[in-house]
Amino acid sequence: MTHNPLPPASSIKRWLMTTNHKDVGILYLVTSIYFLIIGGVLALLFRFQLTDPSLNFLNAQKFNQAVTMHGLVMILFVISPLGFAFANYVVPLQIGARDLAFPRLNALSYWLYLFGGILTIISFFQDSAIDAGWTMYAPLTTNQFSPYVGVNTGGLGLALLVASVTASTFNFVVTIFRSRAQGLTINKLPMFTFSILLTVLMMLYAFPSLLAGLVILASDRLLGTVYFTSPEGGALLWDHIFWFFGHPEVYIVLFPGLGAMAEVIQASTRKHLFGRTAVMVAMVIVAVLSFLVWGHHMFNTGISQDVRRVFTITTIAISIPFDAIILSYIYSLVKANIRINTPFLFVLGSIGVFIIGGITGVFLGSNVLDYILRGTYFVVAHFHYTMVGGGLLGLLAAIYYWYPKMTGRMFDEKLGRIHFVTSMIGYNLLYFPLFIAWETPRRVPIYQPDLLFWHQLATIGGLIFGLSFLIMFWNLLWSLRNGPPAGNNPWGAFTLEWATESPPPPHNFHGIPTFSSGKLEFISTNGAVHHHHETHLSPYPFGVSLGSFLTLAGLTVHSLMLPVGLLVLAISIVGWGREKFVAFEDPIGERWPFDGVDRVKLGWWTFIASEIALFGILISAYIYVRGASGSWPAPGTMLDVWHGAVNTFVLLTSSLTVVLALASAKAGRKGLTTAFLGSTIGLGLLFLFNKYNEWSELIHHGVTFGSSLPASTFFLTTGVHGAHVTAGLLALAYLVSRSIKGAYGKDNWESIEYFGYYWHFVDIVWVFLFPLFYLI
Amino acid sequence: MVSTSAEAVYGLFNLFLTLGTLVGVVVGSYMIYNLLRYRAREDKPAEGEVSLGELPPRQGFPIKLLLSLVLSSAIVISLIVGTFSTLEYLESPPRDSFEIRVTAFQWGWEFTYPNGVVVLGEGRIPANRPVKFIVTSRDVFHKFGVLELGIGIDAIPGKINSYWTQVRVPGTYEIRCFELCGTGHGVMIGKLVVMEPSEFERWYQSQGGVSK
Ligand code: HEM
Ligand SMILES: [Cu+2]
Ligand SMILES: [Cu+2]
Repeated sequence: MTHNPLPPASSIKRWLMTTNHKDVGILYLVTSIYFLIIGGVLALLFRFQLTDPSLNFLNAQKFNQAVTMHGLVMILFVISPLGFAFANYVVPLQIGARDLAFPRLNALSYWLYLFGGILTIISFFQDSAIDAGWTMYAPLTTNQFSPYVGVNTGGLGLALLVASVTASTFNFVVTIFRSRAQGLTINKLPMFTFSILLTVLMMLYAFPSLLAGLVILASDRLLGTVYFTSPEGGALLWDHIFWFFGHPEVYIVLFPGLGAMAEVIQASTRKHLFGRTAVMVAMVIVAVLSFLVWGHHMFNTGISQDVRRVFTITTIAISIPFDAIILSYIYSLVKANIRINTPFLFVLGSIGVFIIGGITGVFLGSNVLDYILRGTYFVVAHFHYTMVGGGLLGLLAAIYYWYPKMTGRMFDEKLGRIHFVTSMIGYNLLYFPLFIAWETPRRVPIYQPDLLFWHQLATIGGLIFGLSFLIMFWNLLWSLRNGPPAGNNPWGAFTLEWATESPPPPHNFHGIPTFSSGKLEFISTNGAVHHHHETHLSPYPFGVSLGSFLTLAGLTVHSLMLPVGLLVLAISIVGWGREKFVAFEDPIGERWPFDGVDRVKLGWWTFIASEIALFGILISAYIYVRGASGSWPAPGTMLDVWHGAVNTFVLLTSSLTVVLALASAKAGRKGLTTAFLGSTIGLGLLFLFNKYNEWSELIHHGVTFGSSLPASTFFLTTGVHGAHVTAGLLALAYLVSRSIKGAYGKDNWESIEYFGYYWHFVDIVWVFLFPLFYLI
Repeated sequence: MVSTSAEAVYGLFNLFLTLGTLVGVVVGSYMIYNLLRYRAREDKPAEGEVSLGELPPRQGFPIKLLLSLVLSSAIVISLIVGTFSTLEYLESPPRDSFEIRVTAFQWGWEFTYPNGVVVLGEGRIPANRPVKFIVTSRDVFHKFGVLELGIGIDAIPGKINSYWTQVRVPGTYEIRCFELCGTGHGVMIGKLVVMEPSEFERWYQSQGGVSK
């Protein structure tokens, strides 16, 4: 065995600096459970208030705050990250990779998630926390109705989470496409890995929408733009943007659990999943359709009937691929020799309750029923049956299933079964009565007296459900030391993670796994690729995240944190850039369809895809409010076309200079490279200077951020674009500083190429913005 | 049923509930049946079990699954058809409806009658006559809901939505808000008083209006 490149598990340094996917997975696991406890305690608090409306335990505002924080924490900081705990730990093992494609970036994702969660929770303790529900409906969340700093803090916390998710997204896309063992084609991917692939692809297009919504909201709150405060944009604009994120999000939290359930079923039946290909196709259909159903959250808003009919069809139709998935899971049991164990029991429980959740979802997909069901406890019951039933219970199965792999020990089976039984009793006692008491309006501490009994039952159920987790915690902690050794493959499973030790060595496998002959073999590396040159530790992911956290907290919590944060951030970013961090890609592997695209390039492409989504939403918001407005200033009346035209010319020229810089580098002309990079900076600065003049003229003439929707949309959209130009200039400054030292030449020009993608993208965005804002 | 809208909505609800329960029970029982039938008696490797590292073989679309999906599609299509026909009905208010404007605000309800009379908190409408609610909001998102009557529609600032019904049973019904709208959301409770037509006529005249 090679020596262990990581410090022992007992050292704090290891956990602050690790970039190894298994360590990061464990960090995600522990952290998401920690947030689960927070979210659960919040739920029990307001559940206690709901035992009897006459209790004055939580007043209306505290109640709303607790409900809001519960929803935000559970959806964004518990289920999804719990799924990503396993995505981190298991996906590289399942595909035979040594780590994720970008280990430091992965550690960064984790720390941003942790600090994002902390910042969001801090907002709960500020003078006034966000209390508008996790859906944060505008205009309730605008300054006029929620003039609380807590909303800003919470928003910034969510922004950190979005950054975390975005980084994970392209990390996983690149890993799954570039680091598979030979022979592991996409259609043969293990079900869990496949579900994670779809999850991150959904995230790639869903989270930019949340980001765009938060950016617009922040701009309304802090800069005074009028997107959500004007009746033309207002409530419906937020609805569209939020639910374009929100509905895919519910499948995003569900898919990791669904994937894990498939693995458990396969291990318990020792057969490949029934209808495996059909299930994969069904999952793809769900992922695509998930972006076409958001309107079912807007059935009552008075959007046109035809649109609502379409959304009724898409929403109800999405139940068909779900049928395919769940029925295949059940058909997998037929004629098998089913081993019943704790993970499998949780899968059964999960399927059982998910069936109820899915069927009641069809109710909500019917525009007619939604007239009365929307905003009632029917919805609360339904989404707990899906998200907690399908998502969380599926992931509890995952915890038990992969625990032996992660720790090398078996848990106590009897306690596991006790946990299963108590949690199922608690769960159903908690949520089923909510269907019966469906007439309760959602998010109220006060309800009709005749529903008292059902709510009291639910509170008892909630207590049982909450306490049942203690059994699991005890079991898992106790077994860490006392459990019997698990061996490599305690379940008799057949995916690749079970072909290595428990826990696996730092590099996962001895040799390179390959399926090229049709069955699993390991190619001995014989020191050809030497493991211990790889780096597994870096302080900078933690540093960058801490710096970002302090900087943002400095804006809304305590101003002293701001300078400290900026300092930490600057030091960490420079350190990151200078650090020699070695992460190999195995020389052989299955990479279709990206054989010819190296991983950094693929990473950039994925990142730009998410940027396209961000601008797509911002531009759609503009088109939307423009369409909803009766009148709009004619071209040339509010904006001076010349400013836009000049800037278009400047920016396009700067794209050309980047191309020339790359060509010069490839030709080995170092001086010329520096000169072209330098002129790009010049042109970028010219663009910003011209923009500055344009803006000050406008503001001088009374066209300000808040003066009208045409002004607001112009300032915000081109402002976000300008911020992208500025970020590009910072990166250029770095490139120039390296280029002066002669860093780029015949065999080192990739950085310029990657930068070029970004820069061209930013230019292309402008090519869209110019006609949209200046010419039509 | 107390009102036309309640009849339409809850009628459809019962269709969904019946079919939904049926599907749920069949699928659930089938799962439990298979579980009991194929439970391993002992943990011995059986024939045909997959071994470690084996990749899945090529697989087509199982007929059994296809048939199940055809069946569930049939159910789903009938639900969609049911929804659409009810929707058509729910959204075609008769021409002679009595129109009343409902304005939601933080935190209460305001009713404006065709003659301009404004009433706070307690709306009055005639029974046995189509009534069209024209709903909007003065500040934030609310939802105007009278569950017993099968009424629910969003109240949105800057937007006007409508919903109609004809109540058969006079009485007092509870109006609640079903969209979180701030601290007073839970107590945003109003009353909808449905009166005998003649009685309503008398009340309305006393307010200076003529409803016919
Ligand atoms: C001890 C366990 C739990 C209890 C007792 C509980 C209870 C509740 C209740 C009563 C509500 C409705 C509040 C209202 O609308 O007035 C609620 C809302 C919600 N719950 Fe839970 N829940 C639990 C666990 C979970 C979990 C594990 C998740 C997610 C995985 C979750 C996600 C949500 C969400 C998203 C909302 C909506 C919040 C909002 O309306 O803004 N809950 N919960
Ligand atoms: Cu949805
Ligand atoms: Cu309300």
